[in-house]
Amino acid sequence: MVNPVHTSFEDVTLTLDGRRIFDGFDLELRERRVGLVGRNGSGKSMLARLAAGLVAPDHGKVRIEGADIFRDRAEAIRLVGILFQNPDHQIIFPTVEEELAFGLTQQGLGRRAARAGATETLAAFGKADWAERPIATLSQGQRHLVCLMAVLAMAPRLVILDEPFAGLDAPTIAQLTRRLGAVEQNLLHASHDLAALADYDRVIWIEAGRILRDGDPGAVLAEYAERMARAGADECSL
Amino acid sequence: MLSLTSPIRTPYHALRASTKLLALCVFTLAVTLSGDPRAVWGAAALVAGLYLAGGLRFAAAGLRMLRPLVFFVAIVALWHGILGEWAEGALVIGKLAAAFGLANLVTMTTRLDDMIALVERVAAPLARLGIEPRLPALSLALVMRFVPVQLQRAAALGEAWRARSRRRPGWRLVTPLALLAIDDAEHVSDALRARGGVRPPASSKG
Ligand SMILES: Nc1ncnc2c1ncn2[C@@H]1O[C@H](COP(=O)(O)OP(=O)(O)O)[C@@H](O)[C@H]1O
Ligand SMILES: [Mg+2]
Repeated sequence: MVNPVHTSFEDVTLTLDGRRIFDGFDLELRERRVGLVGRNGSGKSMLARLAAGLVAPDHGKVRIEGADIFRDRAEAIRLVGILFQNPDHQIIFPTVEEELAFGLTQQGLGRRAARAGATETLAAFGKADWAERPIATLSQGQRHLVCLMAVLAMAPRLVILDEPFAGLDAPTIAQLTRRLGAVEQNLLHASHDLAALADYDRVIWIEAGRILRDGDPGAVLAEYAERMARAGADECSL
Repeated sequence: MLSLTSPIRTPYHALRASTKLLALCVFTLAVTLSGDPRAVWGAAALVAGLYLAGGLRFAAAGLRMLRPLVFFVAIVALWHGILGEWAEGALVIGKLAAAFGLANLVTMTTRLDDMIALVERVAAPLARLGIEPRLPALSLALVMRFVPVQLQRAAALGEAWRARSRRRPGWRLVTPLALLAIDDAEHVSDALRARGGVRPPASSKG
């Protein structure tokens, strides 16, 4: 079992195109599985990108296990992996095995070892026969699974998921959620699928770059669902 | 997304990328310099034979990938036809067929990551000039990955346009396409950075 990872946002300020997205944002995570909810534009993706060290805060620090995750990229690719909403934004290589092996060569493995690692991950998911498959011949759900495998092949301690299953059909979501449930990694999971977060250790609800509620999934998700239903009934809240 | 590497297995898949590329270089040079139509067409026939040895299905796939060549052949034929230099035209067409045929064969039977590793090795001396040797190789991968994505985008935007207009979109799609390409580029740069970037930091720590 993996120990919980310590992630911290310390007085983080982020401005994009002159707009304050986060202003003195503080957050400490030590739970194994953390859910993130909030309306479109509330800042979930930016929080995910900050945590993965993809964007630099204007002020403050984002640390994982004490490492400055934006600056220390060697630690970053050892500690954290991120799954984007659109697999086509994530997949760099034209075949499955190449995509999986890439991350491993990035971690310093030789090509042969990287390929072996990719094969191993594929086998662990029961997808050994996918190795040579061109990405183009995979369905959207299958591409999501490729992204998940590519992230897990690198064996990060923390996996960040930014609405990874939006737009998929219910059976595919159920299957991918089951895969995720079996994963031993720490998760930080932004989602609109509240049921997927119900058994998490902690749920954080953000609005306009601020934490609105934070705590037990039961209480936070119930209030969030209720508020969303009310906002939906309201005529002009878009 | 485009995959140039053929999923139909052939014996050529097992050959080393460097061997294949070296053979391709020598072959192309010889064919280009040769003035003997029999040698040139013999070389083209040899290439055709290599395709057929990979099986009929493989040869058919190869022929499909070579379709753009028809355009060049037509231009050459037309040009030499106008000048009345039939022999010269046949020689040039034979050279095109042989050289592009073999290049395509190598592309179809070499994994992209092998190709990239090779480009990286060849580009290694660039490091002395301060250029990251992975850069040309990674660019190659990204071009292969994103040219077809952009083509798909263009087709989708074209449809979105036609669904609401009676006129053809034409150049009006250029701006939205460019914006989408920039958006894509930002996402890819994220994806690349999330996995260590162009200059992998792994060596600095264990
Ligand atoms: N590249 C950008 N430039 C400027 N503002 C941005 C950019 N990306 C996102 N934003 C703004 O940041 C805020 C948070 O966005 P985001 O994190 O994508 O929200 P969410 O993922 O919760 O839908 C939004 O108000 C959005 O408009
Ligand atoms: Mg988002």
